[in-house]
Amino acid sequence: MTMPKLDFPPFRLPPDAEELRTEVRAFLKEILPNLSAGERFKSWNSRSPEFSKAMGDKGWIGITWPKKYGGAEKSFLHRYVITEELLANGAPAGSHWVADRQSGPNILRYGSEEMKDTILPRIVKGECFFAIGMSEPDSGSDLASVRTRADKVEGGWRVNGTKIWTSGAHRSHYAITLLRTSGQREDRHRGLSQLVIDLKSPGITIRPIINLNGKHDWNEVVFRDCFVPDSMMLGEEGDGWLQVTGELAYERSGPERILTNIHVLKELIRIVGRQPGHQAQVTIGKLAARVWSLRQMSLSVAGMLQAGKSPAVESSVTKDLGTHFQQDLPEIARVLGESEAADENDIQEFLDVCQMATLAAPAYSIQGGTTQVLRGIIARGLGLR
Amino acid sequence: MASDNETRDMFVETASRLFSEQATREIINAFEKGTWPADLWKQVEETGLPWAAVPENVGGAGGNVGDLMAVLREAGRNAVPLPLAETGLGAMIAGEAGLTPPSGPLALAISESGAPLRIEGGKVSGKAKRVAFASVCDNIVVVASGQVAIVPKSAVKIDVKQGQTGEPYDDVSFDAAAASASAPSKVSPERALELAALARTNQMTGAADRILAITTQYSKERVQFGRSISTFQAIQHMLAELSTYVAAVAAAARVAARDAEEGGDSFSIWAAKTQASDAANKICAIAHQSMGAMGFTYEHILHHYTRRLWVWRRDYGSESYWGAKLGRAMCEAGPDAMWPSLTASKVAT
Ligand SMILES: Cc1cc2nc3c(=O)[nH]c(=O)nc-3n(C[C@H](O)[C@H](O)[C@H](O)COP(=O)(O)OP(=O)(O)OC[C@H]3O[C@@H](n4cnc5c(N)ncnc54)[C@H](O)[C@@H]3O)c2cc1C
Repeated sequence: MTMPKLDFPPFRLPPDAEELRTEVRAFLKEILPNLSAGERFKSWNSRSPEFSKAMGDKGWIGITWPKKYGGAEKSFLHRYVITEELLANGAPAGSHWVADRQSGPNILRYGSEEMKDTILPRIVKGECFFAIGMSEPDSGSDLASVRTRADKVEGGWRVNGTKIWTSGAHRSHYAITLLRTSGQREDRHRGLSQLVIDLKSPGITIRPIINLNGKHDWNEVVFRDCFVPDSMMLGEEGDGWLQVTGELAYERSGPERILTNIHVLKELIRIVGRQPGHQAQVTIGKLAARVWSLRQMSLSVAGMLQAGKSPAVESSVTKDLGTHFQQDLPEIARVLGESEAADENDIQEFLDVCQMATLAAPAYSIQGGTTQVLRGIIARGLGLR
Repeated sequence: MASDNETRDMFVETASRLFSEQATREIINAFEKGTWPADLWKQVEETGLPWAAVPENVGGAGGNVGDLMAVLREAGRNAVPLPLAETGLGAMIAGEAGLTPPSGPLALAISESGAPLRIEGGKVSGKAKRVAFASVCDNIVVVASGQVAIVPKSAVKIDVKQGQTGEPYDDVSFDAAAASASAPSKVSPERALELAALARTNQMTGAADRILAITTQYSKERVQFGRSISTFQAIQHMLAELSTYVAAVAAAARVAARDAEEGGDSFSIWAAKTQASDAANKICAIAHQSMGAMGFTYEHILHHYTRRLWVWRRDYGSESYWGAKLGRAMCEAGPDAMWPSLTASKVAT
């Protein structure tokens, strides 16, 4: 019988990455205000250009990139450690997140020399932020059906169309935008390209979309005869689909798919006190075991990426399991914390923390590929389709 | 001591070939009806696999605990109805105490704080419940506080009980039972239980892997509505979800085995057995649902694996047992230690 190939070899971070962890922890302890969990969660993953600047000053953005673009030529694993610490400590790292995670690497891999020279050093300094221009009103999971078009004109491209759910577009400098440069919608992934679009260009309107928490992070980005110079074509015209799938691999495999609300576990441990009852011990132990196991999976994927492999199925498996852990966590914590609180006076603030985490949770299994899309990818990896 | 890759590969290759060829459905079912697979044991014994982690100076293969765990993953993958975990660990613990383990299968009786076993002057006293394979083993390795003993079956009283895997899970009474050998041991009963939990976790990951293989294969072969059921998105998504739990158990089991091999903290074992036991029911439930009535028959081999997962999750500490231990330690260390503990695989203080 042939066994489906799903392999998660154990992987341990190298000592110098762990040394960096100590350094990042100390830095965050110093720079982050001493907020309660409730307050901290409001700034969770939020955008703070000042914080990003401070990260840039430390040299912790684009850390894997070549020195000639300002990077430190460190391994992917160093970046992994930094990301973990930002998440676990609730740092407001949202401004530079996308640029560091996917846009920069994408430009590094496919961009022209000019594009690399002008953009990468600014990302590294924490001064240049990116948005992701993939989704459209009629193209979500079915990304290959995008309608936004770029028509060839003298010296560049004329862009028309609408992107949606564009997180942080109103506070970013550029959006890497997936669009059609030839053919028709029926041609699917053939004829798609990626343009790096300066969001201050004439012909762009950015409108806010408010999410269920009342927050403005999303936008609708409308392009009307927006001119984009030839030099901003990322990679070869027509290679957009290949590039975008590579980008999604970065987007799916990171620790943010496991740790975004790990503070809830920390607060749960706080609320039940140092000597909780047996049921509380069991429940907390099970949660810890789940997130520990997930972290080992994520580390394994990181190790494979570092070794130059492309563990697409393994990263989808990790994201799928990780997002569901993150959705279970606030629910399990809420029920246990309310019944097992060591001090009644702390219950309401704790329940607020859970509540906020619950209201953020639905997005986890939608962004970066829905549960159903990921399971489709996994099923293909299992040889079922 | 770390084992080199070649030694490990050799153990795994030998185990994989032997188990997949020889641990047949007939043998597994026959044992459930009471026929001890003596020939299979003999073949396995000849390869030396049960002594993978036993020091060479007492007749072992000179590998380490990581090699034994790799062998046990293959055993789990093939539902091998032999006390390989028990013999492997019993012989390792006895061997490390300088005793020469006897040939033949060994059962493992570990003293528990609630109902302790005592080794005094070469005699063992106390009762042990659910001792896997005791009634088919010639000897029992007893791990008590500070001591390890090898006790011949003839010296104890055994209340034979069949577990839900179809294998014996017997109650054993030691009434000043004379040990054939005993020695001071550095392996505490707590540590022995951790190692046994690690062993089951590794067997579980093998079985879970096999369940994924069986169900994906079946879904491609079974035709309904004129097409193989693997083409239904509902089935694809069920099996994809199943694979995420199988993967979590695999990652946890292998990291815990590596940590034990490298002399790491117990944290990884507590977490891995909790994870494996916690995931077992989800894995079994989805697997059975995906196979309809066929998977519920005695005829089909799926139950060799699902029944084992359901029993093994309870063996040597369930998710409640290890979960409580992990949770208690995490709470004692306090909220600020939570993240450092997870990254270090060791409760931070
Ligand atoms: C918080 C958040 C931030 C985001 N930020 C960005 C961003 O910065 N840039 C950007 O481009 N996009 C962003 N997105 C959009 C995101 O990529 C899409 O939401 C996602 O791809 C799903 O598309 P959709 O919302 O149109 O859902 P749809 O594709 O319409 O899906 C609706 C439902 O149908 C299911 N479904 C769809 N197709 C199938 C199928 N073939 N089989 C089975 N079920 C199916 C889905 O799983 C889902 O349950 C963000 C989303 C969220 C929630």
